Amino acid sequence: MQIRPILAALRRHRLATLLIAMEVALACAVLCNACFLVVQRWKLIQIHSGVDESALAVLTVNGFDPSQAADVNARMLTGLRSIPGMQSVTVINQVPFGPQAGAAGVSHDPGSFKNTIGVVDFVLGGPGTYEALGLKLVEGRLPQADDYRPATNFAPPDAQVLVSRALADHAWPGESPLGKDFWCDKLHFRVMGVVDHLARAHPHDWGTQATEWTVFTPTLPGGSLAGTYLLRANPHDLPRVLHEARDAVAKIAPHVVLDQENSQTIGDLRADYFKSDRIMIDLLIGVIVTMLGVTALGIVGLASFWVQQRRRQIGIRRAIGATRTDILRYFQTENFLIVTGGIVLGMALAYALNLLLMQHYELPRLPVYYLPIGALVLWGLGQLAVLGPALRAAAVPPVVATRSV
Amino acid sequence: MIRYSLELALHGLRRSPKSTVLAIVTVALGLAASMTTLALLHQLSADPLPGRSQNLYLAWVDTVQAKPDSYESLNDVTHPDFKRIKMADAQALVQEHRAVRQAALAGLDADVSTTEGEHVQKAQSLLGTTSELVPMFGVALRYGRNWSAAEDAARAPVAVIDVDLAQKLFGTGNVVGRSIRLDKTVFRVIGVSTPFAPQPHFFGLDRWAFSDSDLENVFVPYTAALDAGLIPGGSDGCDDKTKRSLFDVDPARCAWLAYWVELDTPQQVADYRTYLDHYAAQQPRLAELAKPAKAQLFGVSEWLAKQNVIPDNARMNVWLAMSFLLLCMANVAGLLTAKFLRRSGEIGIRRALGAPRRVVFMQYVLEATAVSALGGAVALPLTLLGLWIVRLQDQGFTDLARLDPLMFAGLFALSLLVGVLVGVVPAWRASTIEPGLQVKSV
Repeated sequence: MQIRPILAALRRHRLATLLIAMEVALACAVLCNACFLVVQRWKLIQIHSGVDESALAVLTVNGFDPSQAADVNARMLTGLRSIPGMQSVTVINQVPFGPQAGAAGVSHDPGSFKNTIGVVDFVLGGPGTYEALGLKLVEGRLPQADDYRPATNFAPPDAQVLVSRALADHAWPGESPLGKDFWCDKLHFRVMGVVDHLARAHPHDWGTQATEWTVFTPTLPGGSLAGTYLLRANPHDLPRVLHEARDAVAKIAPHVVLDQENSQTIGDLRADYFKSDRIMIDLLIGVIVTMLGVTALGIVGLASFWVQQRRRQIGIRRAIGATRTDILRYFQTENFLIVTGGIVLGMALAYALNLLLMQHYELPRLPVYYLPIGALVLWGLGQLAVLGPALRAAAVPPVVATRSV
Repeated sequence: MIRYSLELALHGLRRSPKSTVLAIVTVALGLAASMTTLALLHQLSADPLPGRSQNLYLAWVDTVQAKPDSYESLNDVTHPDFKRIKMADAQALVQEHRAVRQAALAGLDADVSTTEGEHVQKAQSLLGTTSELVPMFGVALRYGRNWSAAEDAARAPVAVIDVDLAQKLFGTGNVVGRSIRLDKTVFRVIGVSTPFAPQPHFFGLDRWAFSDSDLENVFVPYTAALDAGLIPGGSDGCDDKTKRSLFDVDPARCAWLAYWVELDTPQQVADYRTYLDHYAAQQPRLAELAKPAKAQLFGVSEWLAKQNVIPDNARMNVWLAMSFLLLCMANVAGLLTAKFLRRSGEIGIRRALGAPRRVVFMQYVLEATAVSALGGAVALPLTLLGLWIVRLQDQGFTDLARLDPLMFAGLFALSLLVGVLVGVVPAWRASTIEPGLQVKSV
């Protein structure tokens, strides 16, 4: 295929060529950035909570006095455990994607905020909660019966705790976290073990590095640790078990109020938590698809025009020996050249748009590999769009050349 | 002449209906996407209290007796600072009364019920404030009266509630003189207001910025609210000496009240700034802590910009939609070029018969504008559909997605502008056609 005659022909259609190239360039810029945003959000919502989400639900009641906490806990635990299919009911203060109950700043030194570690989530759980959550211990030891002690302020004094691996790596990089001490104001904690993953209640509220900065603190129920219950059941039974549990509350403890919004399966809480991200993803995908469609239609429109305009020239070429394949290749190559021009310009535009977005939003730099992928997609799109008009061109019979000169 | 051009333009559009429809739909998609996102942004950046907000200012003096660093930026997330002040300062500033009007305020939560408890509204949002808030923010009273400065000072348990709450609790609007319970304490209703829900919720951004469901439906003196055991939900820092549990706010030692003032002239604003600086400088304890005296005054729009109330998503969508519109415009320009050049012969004849370039150019710009105007007409229902989809998202702020007359006019103007922009290049190309060459080939 000779490129020179194609270029010569394009030079006679500078305006249309330029417009298609512009269109491809804009599509390339928006496509790369929109895809990048989709992938960013997608990564965000794929967060590993570390708990057996499909088997867990949370049930929250309120409207009782702190003095009634022990009574409410006792009634709820007994009552809920009697529901058929319920594997365990334990007391917890917060679950991933539920309301945040215990976020606090912790530091390496007591009573100061100088040598800070950061804001972490304290997950307080009564006996059995660790097992029910399905956390995975990677280092140290599991909480024993005597580790569960009543909270005095908001956590037990000198508590032995489990930290997530992410928090351990952040607080004591390169060291074994076991036996390390940290403080929340004047409250002292000591690390007895490390769990693989445990997401905080609102993973995105505290920065992308800190999604799993959590401390699991074994605590005896009572006082402020009351009213929120972790239910575990077989994933198939879970919706039914939760439904029955919600209905049972009125009978188990008539004086408390069921918090409808915060009595759901962890899966539903997760879906709610990421709802706006999901909508944004759908929206972006919609934009990408519409944009590709519009670009393709534009290419079809202009290519059809060219084919119609050049019918005679095509006829002449066919008459002097060009095959149908030659004509087809001609239009395909022409499209490839124009799209390539657009892509070159589009890459620069994509980076410019990315820089603009980076300035206004917390967005990382566009990775380089998006550009070749974007280029491939647009080349493919261009070839698909031009195929119809090009086939029509190839079907032009040589006899056209002899007509009405 | 224009009429003739228009006729020719419409004739031209009818001649190749397929490409005309394609161009119109493309323009409509671009316009609808842009207008949907712009309408939302427009609503989000609307003035919360038209006619009043330009005279309202948030005043702040830093008198918290603690090192400023403690919580400011942990985990690389900046701790939001709502510039609230301590109760003692609020009392002193209200006492000295240097602005036209002034009020301290804080959002509170309580269960509101009738005194016998037969009707309960759980977890309502209250505004604990001082007497001048109602006139300053222009809360419209339907029945009864607002409370007085004397009642503030006397910590009187009186309340102004909105008419919707009155309906829910008592089944009637005029409930002046009846009593309600906030958690456990009885308050006397002295006034009934119309619902007050400015968007954005500029005076209490710590609670929410945009919401279709949340609003403060009870106004009470904050002093009486404290007496009733209602606890402020948050603060912007506490004195070091605070004896507090980790998550509660000590009303005496924490900065939990937002202080809003009304200042009507630039002179008053300047004077008030001086006054605040002076007030801050006078605080003796700050010198011991080696803390510089700090005082600030924010206008409403400045405050909203500082707090970045417009959700990032809304702005980002505008960028995306605008890029999309640009793409659609390039596309339509291409389609129109093809369309116009197909008529090269006709243009050649017109030129040969004496039509000047200007006239040919005009005709094709008109034709492009007609395409775009039709696109705008198609875009209107599409925009309404888009806004409806946005409202379905239910994210608080999304409920504001509506097309007001200004944005409707905006859509119209934008479609004409797009038409001209899109038409100029193809029309210019068409007008440069050499008559001789074309006539020969016809």
